[in-house]
Amino acid sequence: MITAGKYEGQHPLHPKARQILLDAFDQGWADPTQISSQGRQAEALLVQARESIAKSLGLKADEIELWGEPELISPIAIWGAPGFGVSPFIYGATERSEIIGMRGKSKQSFEISVDIDGAIDLELLTQTLTLQPNSIVAIQSANIETGVIQNLKTISKAVVAQNAHLHIDATASGARFVKPAYWSTLHFDARSWNGPSGVGVFALKNGARWSNPLPHTKPTRAPNSFSIPLALAAASALEYWIADESANSARLKSLIERVRNHVKQTISDVDIAGNAESTLPNIISLSFLNVSSEQLVGALEIEGFSVASGSACVASALEPSHVLKAMGLLTHGNMRINLNHDVQDGEITKLLALLPGIISKLREN
Amino acid sequence: MATELDCRGKRCPLPIIELSKKIKESELGQEVLLLSDDPATAADLSAWARMTGNEFKVISADNFLITKSN
Repeated sequence: MITAGKYEGQHPLHPKARQILLDAFDQGWADPTQISSQGRQAEALLVQARESIAKSLGLKADEIELWGEPELISPIAIWGAPGFGVSPFIYGATERSEIIGMRGKSKQSFEISVDIDGAIDLELLTQTLTLQPNSIVAIQSANIETGVIQNLKTISKAVVAQNAHLHIDATASGARFVKPAYWSTLHFDARSWNGPSGVGVFALKNGARWSNPLPHTKPTRAPNSFSIPLALAAASALEYWIADESANSARLKSLIERVRNHVKQTISDVDIAGNAESTLPNIISLSFLNVSSEQLVGALEIEGFSVASGSACVASALEPSHVLKAMGLLTHGNMRINLNHDVQDGEITKLLALLPGIISKLREN
Repeated sequence: MATELDCRGKRCPLPIIELSKKIKESELGQEVLLLSDDPATAADLSAWARMTGNEFKVISADNFLITKSN
């Protein structure tokens, strides 16, 4: 029984989206650029899928491109921003590593720190933007490890005031993302709405300046070498996800609230990332002092719960989570819960009944 | 006089767990010199100090001076 969901997305593909995927593979989708009836059919379905994805995300169909390698979207969106390399590059301290890694490709870069709740230091951001006009700014809409949501409404106002490029990483928020009035480029991953892995969405706001940094001879904004069956499945998974969300969003939020309150009341010396008002409704990150995450994850696994951790002793890297570190939170004894729509209330009840005992037992060792 | 606690070579969360035990046994105001080369120690020490109400100083990359203050 996997309940608390697995970190970073790989929730099972929606059953109906899975059927679409299998059908599409079975029918052997032809190359949509070829003039054959199969090719034309594939092209028509793809146009529909793109329109559906754009509409579901509140975007225009001509603003989006589908990508077959989602992890590359943010780096390429940043790389293609006006003047990247020479222009100052400003990013949040809790951005994903591939975005932070872009600092190595820029002559000047500025990291904006976050407070203990994970919120970007707005004063420092505004100050940096004023001193460094025409910068390229990369900020996430929410963090995948902690669920902390950034105040994009205020951030985007500060960015537009200085004529900077704003890239938003929406891979954690997915279809929960609320667009601010101003943005330049966006990045989504179909895994965030229980779509297949291997499909991402790059959005370029109409009128925003950006040029494809990859080698190309014809005007194009994307390599377009993504898998058509995966793209069709991603589009339908998004529609199903949105339908399920309206039925479940309040329930997920209250389950996460139950976890937050129960842990606070029953377990001492615990860091809970972010505050309830500014975190995603389905994610919570808990760090227990003097507990080994490896043992914690293992103990929960025996009980049938699949959780992940940002502690160094569990992740393959030696370094602990840079996100928890940037927030000043405990990096050991960490577990993350990422709830999917199909989670049963009883599973959380069981988890909460077990957790205090597991923690105190691990602390005795 | 600070008591030395050598946790070099030990991975997280062992240095913090051993420090917690040591501090528990110590008198108020007692100092502990923690030697730890685990990359998580520096970050976790500040979280530990905030949570337990103790104080610490970074002496060098793998030397930390902790004072029992709570």
